[in-house]
Amino acid sequence: MSIKAVKAYPETGWGMPFVNFFDSTVTVTNYAQNGRSTKTFISDKLWQKIADNVKPGDYVIIQFGHNDEVPTKAAATTESQFKENLLLFVNQTRAKQATPILLTPTARRKFDSTGTVVGTHDVYAAIVRTVAAEQNVAMIDVDKESQALIQKYGPEDSKIFYDYLTPGENPNYPRGNSDDTHFSELGARKIASIVLAGIRSQKLELADRIVKKPAMKMPVPTPTTTPMPYEKN
Amino acid sequence: MKKINQYRILLLSALICLSFMVAAPKKIKVYLVGDSTMCLYPASRAPLTGWGMPFANYFDQSVTIENVARGGRSTRTFLSENRWQPVLDSLHAGDYVLVQFGHNDEANQPQYADRYTPLPDFKTNLAKFITDTRSKQAFPILITPVTKINFDKDGKAKETHVEYSAAVLEVGAQYNVPVIDLDLKSRELIQQMGPKAANMLYMMLDAGEHPNYPTAYRDNTHFNDFGARKMAEIVLNGLKEQHVELADRIVKGFGAPTVNPQVK
Repeated sequence: MSIKAVKAYPETGWGMPFVNFFDSTVTVTNYAQNGRSTKTFISDKLWQKIADNVKPGDYVIIQFGHNDEVPTKAAATTESQFKENLLLFVNQTRAKQATPILLTPTARRKFDSTGTVVGTHDVYAAIVRTVAAEQNVAMIDVDKESQALIQKYGPEDSKIFYDYLTPGENPNYPRGNSDDTHFSELGARKIASIVLAGIRSQKLELADRIVKKPAMKMPVPTPTTTPMPYEKN
Repeated sequence: MKKINQYRILLLSALICLSFMVAAPKKIKVYLVGDSTMCLYPASRAPLTGWGMPFANYFDQSVTIENVARGGRSTRTFLSENRWQPVLDSLHAGDYVLVQFGHNDEANQPQYADRYTPLPDFKTNLAKFITDTRSKQAFPILITPVTKINFDKDGKAKETHVEYSAAVLEVGAQYNVPVIDLDLKSRELIQQMGPKAANMLYMMLDAGEHPNYPTAYRDNTHFNDFGARKMAEIVLNGLKEQHVELADRIVKGFGAPTVNPQVK
């Protein structure tokens, strides 16, 4: 979700392309940081910044799990801690007359030997769904939707969504990269589109602030027969 | 005594700083001269991305990228609209000019008469960019036009700029200018990726996927954020293969490969 340093490009957090979806009434402030769990987001005082700044009518989009659910990580939380922390985010957001939106974590790229995508957040994603249902909070099931996306492309082609680089391909990663968690520009944008679709389907007021454009006049050509119009400007 | 030592340390540090200043490479500008596949786009047109946009992220602080490419321009209209002369006027010794045209020059359908450039004129215009650039002790680099995506029924990526890419290579050889064969390299890339994945390099959007493009969108020419970066990588590696001095100014990352313990 976070904003990446240029030296980490092409790794892209989905919050980066997400900002392009909204009209001028919306300012997206991305507080997400790599490596954070619900626990360290609080202990590093990142949550406090949001609690201090959030205003009535604002939205707080909350997505954790990757770092909470791995017991060997220092940032790890138990299932009950994870639930408690999500509740804290929800309650403090609502206390400020703002609207929380809970998201399940983005899928990791993992397939079994038959080419079927395998969930890697099943327990912690379920906690997000439970909290959302119990507290009547809008929930976007990014884990489920992103698994469907990579299933559609399969084990090989789905690498385009993640930060996969061959050695020598990109100056920032001379030895290449095989990252099944973090996204390329494409994957980040596809996740952002999943969140956008969720905002629309949940009929949140935020959906009224999505950029409205007339349908493009551009024809839809078939690549083999119709010459493409060329961009002018 | 202690004070003298302090002065010594100060003097030594000053000398070290100075040596770095001397060694620091001269600041240069790299002008990107070309068409819609190279140019800058505002966020209101995202995810449409010219490859010149991500290209700018991969140089050290000695390099400033000036992307003056414009959509819809051929060599002929880039010159006739007086877009080249200001570049030439501001060129300094040691600067670079990367030239990529072809898409609009070769568009000989009647509706594109405003930009079409016959092949002989295309070559003459490329030669002008070269000789003008060299007159300022700056360095021209030619780039063949990046491929469109067009697979035949057997799944083979078809050549989409045959004559105009050949012309770039020909002029490059004639004037002894480095040529980055982006047409060939990008075609090899889409061939290796195959139609399904390679489509995702271009502006192919489902309805509702991006609010900037409410209806389904299929464009076999222009790149999205991902495709533009892949094309930029080809050009960056082309600079290295050509042993152009500019390649020494590409960032040297040390990003260790990421391996996810949960997945492996």
